[in-house]
Amino acid sequence: MPDKSRGLKRAKEIYQNRSRRVQELKAAGKKIIGYPCVYVPLEILTALDLVPYRTCGDIKEPVTEADRALPTSFCPIMRTCLDCALKGKNDFLDGMVTVHSSDPQEKTARVWESYVDHPYFHFIDMPGTVRPEAMEYFKSQLNDFKKTLESFTGKKLSADKLKAAIESHNKQRALVKESYELTKPTPPLISGIEIVQVVKALMSLPVTEGNELLTQVISEVKSRNDGPKRKPARLLIWSSTLDDSAIMEIFESGANVVMDESCGGIRPYRGSVKLTTDPLDGLADYYLNEITCARTFRQAVIGETKKDYKKDLQSRFGYLKDIIKKWNINGAVLLLVRYCDPFAFEMPSLKDYLDGLGIPSTYIEYDYTRGALAPLRTRVEAFLETIS
Amino acid sequence: MYFAGVDIGSTMTKIVLLDTDDRVLSAIKGPTGPEHRQLANEVMKTALEQTGLQLDDISYVVATGYGRFNVPFADRQITELSCHARGVSSLFPNIRTAIDIGGQDAKCLKINNGKLIDFVMNDKCAAGTGRFLEVIAATLGIRLDDLGDISLKSTKKIQISNFCTIFAQQEVVSRLSEGEKLEDIIAGLHDALASRVAALARRLKVEPDVVLTGGVAKNAGMVKAMQENLGCELLVPEDPLITGAMGAAILAKEHALEAIAKGEPVSTKPRRLEKATLFH
Repeated sequence: MPDKSRGLKRAKEIYQNRSRRVQELKAAGKKIIGYPCVYVPLEILTALDLVPYRTCGDIKEPVTEADRALPTSFCPIMRTCLDCALKGKNDFLDGMVTVHSSDPQEKTARVWESYVDHPYFHFIDMPGTVRPEAMEYFKSQLNDFKKTLESFTGKKLSADKLKAAIESHNKQRALVKESYELTKPTPPLISGIEIVQVVKALMSLPVTEGNELLTQVISEVKSRNDGPKRKPARLLIWSSTLDDSAIMEIFESGANVVMDESCGGIRPYRGSVKLTTDPLDGLADYYLNEITCARTFRQAVIGETKKDYKKDLQSRFGYLKDIIKKWNINGAVLLLVRYCDPFAFEMPSLKDYLDGLGIPSTYIEYDYTRGALAPLRTRVEAFLETIS
Repeated sequence: MYFAGVDIGSTMTKIVLLDTDDRVLSAIKGPTGPEHRQLANEVMKTALEQTGLQLDDISYVVATGYGRFNVPFADRQITELSCHARGVSSLFPNIRTAIDIGGQDAKCLKINNGKLIDFVMNDKCAAGTGRFLEVIAATLGIRLDDLGDISLKSTKKIQISNFCTIFAQQEVVSRLSEGEKLEDIIAGLHDALASRVAALARRLKVEPDVVLTGGVAKNAGMVKAMQENLGCELLVPEDPLITGAMGAAILAKEHALEAIAKGEPVSTKPRRLEKATLFH
């Protein structure tokens, strides 16, 4: 019988010591596969009895080793991720699968493959648009991915096992969405800081254990009476990755973060994979069409951004309208990690879109380093002063 | 009743004491240095001596600036962006845009009816800040205060292509070795800094009245370069360093009077100059 009062505490423990559980599993004979990005179809790993583990950087760790392999004016997240790998922090991994989610990610994959020694390594070439031809190509990429894993594990991937894995991961998506239902009340029942910790814990556990953790968290949060306090603003954060609670603390010192549209929040979980006859069709559709990351461009009319700007904005950011209404959001922070071109290019249009909805927003650029947190705090506080 | 605003910037610490009629009783500036907490106490002591007031006489204290959490006797912290907006609005009631260039950052504020409505700030590096001029002055062996007047003598502005403080420093040295005149190089540097800040400001719509504040506004060469780059007239307060502390003091007054009107207690902090300790 799981202890229902310990979900959040356990999530925090895993957040603080992320690799402990997968190292235990490894000692018991499981194989652990790292992945750096939301676009890697974890269902295929799970179906082959592999444990997915999201590789992260460390905001507190100065980048030293990665500088011999990557330019310094380059995605700080990639730099810190590779730096941690080069310092041996992921040495327990049996393999690594990465994906063309951005050009720095792709280039880093090549460097990673040469510099970090994993028994298994694979790169998925991800198309940058949602054209039908892109879907065909992406599905063939997923087939290649499947084959390399079959050869690595010596096991055949059965459609039944893949469907079962899709169901487990869909359950995880449903449970994360249920957690976000708990941020709807004022004050929210669960804080943005707690969600960052829970989501990062999910990315450090096999899917079934993650689902148990989420079930515990939800039941604990629903029954506790010492949840977050009401703050003057209900914020939406839109970012690439927000995976450190020190960053979230800055927002939550003066606001309730009720929606975190980043890879450390709801983005990996908002949709769900359709169960198709060939499960790879459902996976290809979900990962290419459903995940709303700035790296995939969603024009209303492909090739014609300017034809109908309003319609184009709707096509690119329309999903936020419903969120803003249902979560009663009254301010948005567009948080950009420096040198993150895909997100930087979306900022002016997204700001236009939010202006159109009457939602005040601010665009803040920061370095993914501890030194960047004090200037970030000043900008966030000033924004909150303008909307309160 | 009396109110105080303390602005601990990266380079200078400023304090303003106000009375209920917005009369400035004291306005003091001193270099910040490494010991914020010590300095907050020191400037407050000096201001009290100047006015003959006791610390207990101050009804409410607002701290601002990047050292705002290091003012032991402050009742409340408000960011320098809101405080600057309030401070410059008290001096220029028709202000819509404020550009503040300080030692560590440059910011552009959009203001409506005295309230901050939007802002942009520079990145964390020294490009586009007062530090840029400090480094260059030190390289050239010129007093920071003299830079502006020297630049105004220029007849042929030299294009400086680097925004990065370190690279610009190297560019200056190489231009000097090519025999270019000092005043032309300095005018070029002012233009480089001004174009960087103007580009930042243009991310928001620059509407008149536009006011320039911060230590850099004391430099006449910079005011000229900013006007050229923005293509509009700039207003400069008599003391452009003090607007943040002034705004903090005004916000302190407003907060205190609001609390009184609601029948709530005004001050939240014990009025004593604690023994200064770092990281306490």
